[in-house]
Amino acid sequence: MKTIQLFPLELRRLLQSRLTWLIVLLTVLSPLAGLILYKPASASTMLSIYLANPALAGGVGGGILFGLLTVFELDRAHRSRVAVLMDAVVSPLCMALVRLLALLAAALLTLIVTMLVWFPISWVLIGSVFGGTDYVLAYLLFMGLALPLSILAAASAYQMTRRADLSLVLFAAFAGLSLTIWTDHWQLCWLNPSVWALSDDFSNFRIFRSVAYMRLTWLAALAGIWTLSYLCVRQYGKGLLGSLARNMRQVYRPMISLLLLTCSGTAYAVQPMVDHSNPDESVMSFYDLPYLEGILCSGRTAQVYPNTTAGTVTGRATYQFQNTSGQAQTVAFGIQPGYTISSVQANGANVPFSVGDYQEYNEVMLEVTVPAEEAVELAVEYSGFPQENRNLSTMQGAAEISTEYLCLENAALAPRLLNVLPDEGMYPATVEVILPSSMMVIPFGTNEAEIVAEHEDGTSTWRYEDNGVGGILYAGDYIRQDIQTDGITIQFYYGRKHQAVMEEAGAVNAVKTVVDYCTEHYGPLSFSTGGTLKLIQSRVSGGGYASNGASLLDEADFTAANLRDSSKGAIPGEVMIHELVHQWWGLGNMFDSFDNTNPWSAEGLTVYTTYRIVKELYDEEYAQKHYVEQWQQAVDDYYLNFYVRNTEYLAGLPEEEQLQISNSLAYVRQYCEMPLKILKAQELVGGEEAMDQILNSLFNRELNWSYPYLTYQEFLDACGLTEEDLTLV
Amino acid sequence: MEIRIQNVSMTYPNGKQALKDLNLDLQTPSLIGLLGPNGAGKSTLMKLLVAALMPTSGSIQVDGMPLAKTDRLLKAQLGYLPQDFGLFDELTVVQFLDYMVALKGLRDPKTAIQEVIRAVNLEEKAKAKIRTLSGGQRQRVGIAQALLGNPPFLIFDEPTVGLDPEERIHFRNLFSQTAQNRLVLLSTHIIEDVQSVCDQLVVIDHGRILFTGTPAQLIQAAVGHVGVFWEREVTQGQGLHITSRVNTSQGIRCRAVADTLPAYAQPEEPSLEDAYLYLILQEAIQ
Repeated sequence: MKTIQLFPLELRRLLQSRLTWLIVLLTVLSPLAGLILYKPASASTMLSIYLANPALAGGVGGGILFGLLTVFELDRAHRSRVAVLMDAVVSPLCMALVRLLALLAAALLTLIVTMLVWFPISWVLIGSVFGGTDYVLAYLLFMGLALPLSILAAASAYQMTRRADLSLVLFAAFAGLSLTIWTDHWQLCWLNPSVWALSDDFSNFRIFRSVAYMRLTWLAALAGIWTLSYLCVRQYGKGLLGSLARNMRQVYRPMISLLLLTCSGTAYAVQPMVDHSNPDESVMSFYDLPYLEGILCSGRTAQVYPNTTAGTVTGRATYQFQNTSGQAQTVAFGIQPGYTISSVQANGANVPFSVGDYQEYNEVMLEVTVPAEEAVELAVEYSGFPQENRNLSTMQGAAEISTEYLCLENAALAPRLLNVLPDEGMYPATVEVILPSSMMVIPFGTNEAEIVAEHEDGTSTWRYEDNGVGGILYAGDYIRQDIQTDGITIQFYYGRKHQAVMEEAGAVNAVKTVVDYCTEHYGPLSFSTGGTLKLIQSRVSGGGYASNGASLLDEADFTAANLRDSSKGAIPGEVMIHELVHQWWGLGNMFDSFDNTNPWSAEGLTVYTTYRIVKELYDEEYAQKHYVEQWQQAVDDYYLNFYVRNTEYLAGLPEEEQLQISNSLAYVRQYCEMPLKILKAQELVGGEEAMDQILNSLFNRELNWSYPYLTYQEFLDACGLTEEDLTLV
Repeated sequence: MEIRIQNVSMTYPNGKQALKDLNLDLQTPSLIGLLGPNGAGKSTLMKLLVAALMPTSGSIQVDGMPLAKTDRLLKAQLGYLPQDFGLFDELTVVQFLDYMVALKGLRDPKTAIQEVIRAVNLEEKAKAKIRTLSGGQRQRVGIAQALLGNPPFLIFDEPTVGLDPEERIHFRNLFSQTAQNRLVLLSTHIIEDVQSVCDQLVVIDHGRILFTGTPAQLIQAAVGHVGVFWEREVTQGQGLHITSRVNTSQGIRCRAVADTLPAYAQPEEPSLEDAYLYLILQEAIQ
């Protein structure tokens, strides 16, 4: 009661301090660092650049500032010797609680002011893909919760040590751990959560859930530690242990601390976000399982019910087996580690099953004993919250399930059969999925999904046929545009939120132009079978992949910022062309992405091809001015660069600066020097037509599967040139 | 209000024994002067009474209830001015008092603040920032915060330090008026402060109570032990404690206390200061 009465008083006193307002001001400004200095979200989406990074920087900056303020304020009464007056009126324990609440209220006020100040700025910077929900959640979770955590940590340090200097050292060490040693552990980064990307065009609930989980785990931990430190608040002239012993007499206090710490420890240990996949990714034991003899799989079905609110999946999968062995067989499936199996039935009867502990590549093994009957229909019921691969735990977000987007891959869709061969070489599958009617279902491959039922609750049942043990399903709030090109029909799927950007960039024309040009000059894409190709814009994932009949376009390549990148094209439409050319030069096994500083990369041939398309679309003068002259200028500057001419000095710079310069130089070499070299090679081999033939042969070359990547040497050999021939100086 | 201190001892963690087996009863209304040399245990006793310390042994009872269990109740009835205290420098006098009023949970803060500001003569500085105040003015703010809400139990530890003579007289009178229906404990080095206003004295030294009673009783105990003489007459000074020397045209006139006055000393009517010094001297001899 006294605490409630004193809270507004202490808050008012806190807000009368100039230091408090300085801290508030600096915290409100701290997101600015996310635009300039501190950019942990490395993806190039607009929300990563203009929302995630500022909010994360705000969290780190604000957290540290409020930690300092906390120590200063808690020490203030003792430093100014007012505590002796206050302790005679109010219990020090009561005041400790009141001060904490006042600091938390000041932090909340600061967060609100920060959000109000940055709302219009973010809106303008992010543009048409700005979303209010993303904005609020990003600031609440990435920034907002950092402030109470810092306050609790700093207050705990002070209450335990009762020394400002020592508390500051302890707080700095705790914050430093989060910013350095713990950065690879998503659960330990209490100050700077592991956020590498936010999607512009689709939702981000998965990463928000992950950050919220981490923050709440720490909130319980630090609240527990604070409660423990509360017991150390000095009373009756006693020291640390004396006060602790006295304050613990009221048993509920240590019990609360213990309860909070237990909750936190449990939450840490049983986190649902990330699996326990083997970190050694060279081990692929699930793929090495020997196939069972005397049993074949003749078909399978799956009914999948994603819960787009909770982010969970419920499903029922059936498998038809022909067991001619005359004995029971143990069939193995790979299942999503986040799923639990509620029942397994063979021909309507429950059969024993077990789920192993070992996990690998985001799968855990389910073993089921199939009875010794000839025809067996095995039904597996499963449900749960999909977990992500722990080897990518600092890049979470892929398991997004919402009304805007979902991607269910292989075991996340339905248990994946591991050790039974198919009948007649295929695993015919019928997959049904129930989703909100606003979502479009896109099976990744040649198959088409169709709506088979519409329900009163606003959902629809989609069905499609598939072949194989796994399968990938995309669904979301997509727009589909069919583009007729020479030879194939492109089904172009992109997020509804991205419509304005795509239209501004002339996406449809760019697709048609690129497909026509590249098909004519280099040949059709190997995966565009059956006369159609799905081009699916995916949620930001760090890259794309292709399969028969479908290819992914990472949304990060089509952001408004990227489409304005003049090194890729003079206007957004040309950048769109650049990104689509990557379907020929850059997808799958085309280039070894091991060394991103290597000048020979997907970018050289892609930039060169973009130049050729632009030259054909407009005229030579335009292409010369906006491409060749630009490259030449950048390369001339590159050869004059101090650190290029004196590489020994580069090594002497601080690591971060070194990296920044070498990245910038690598960029010039990939985007400018290499296209110039290809242009020179074009001249040396006899012109554009000859180069087109060479590139056509390289694109359609026979792959060496032990190292399928196209190398610079292969390119030189195909041109009949040496490295020296293409030297530019 | 009745406070009973029974067999209270206090030993600090560093081993220093500040109070030894102390027994004392305090009752409303009274203005009790607490006297004793530096390090006698006065401040320790006051800290025990405001529950800033817990006794090592013994008990303190407030209205029959152990202080350890009723410290919240005690704090609600207490006005305390410690010897060494600070203020929030960035606040004005009124803001600081407003803060203390709220801490005390008083119902009519404006009136309470106006009353104490008037009582300590700080009307002109009411809106001044505390950092701009002189030492004496800060001391007056300290007294003001103790008086807020007319608490029934007041403890002042060296309240007149830093005040000019005129202010000291003013505050003596204020304490005297305040104590008419309350329990006021006044600790001081300045005998004049207690002489004129306190109806009861407690003399403490080396953690023990040497005397409890009225000032008159203390003075009475020193009768026959205070004398004056010319310094030139002194033949042997053993057992003689000179309390003052005054230069006169005829030489230096000394005033002293002693268990047995020498023959050359002319007996004098003892003052409270003489009586106090005599008591301390006796303790030192023992």
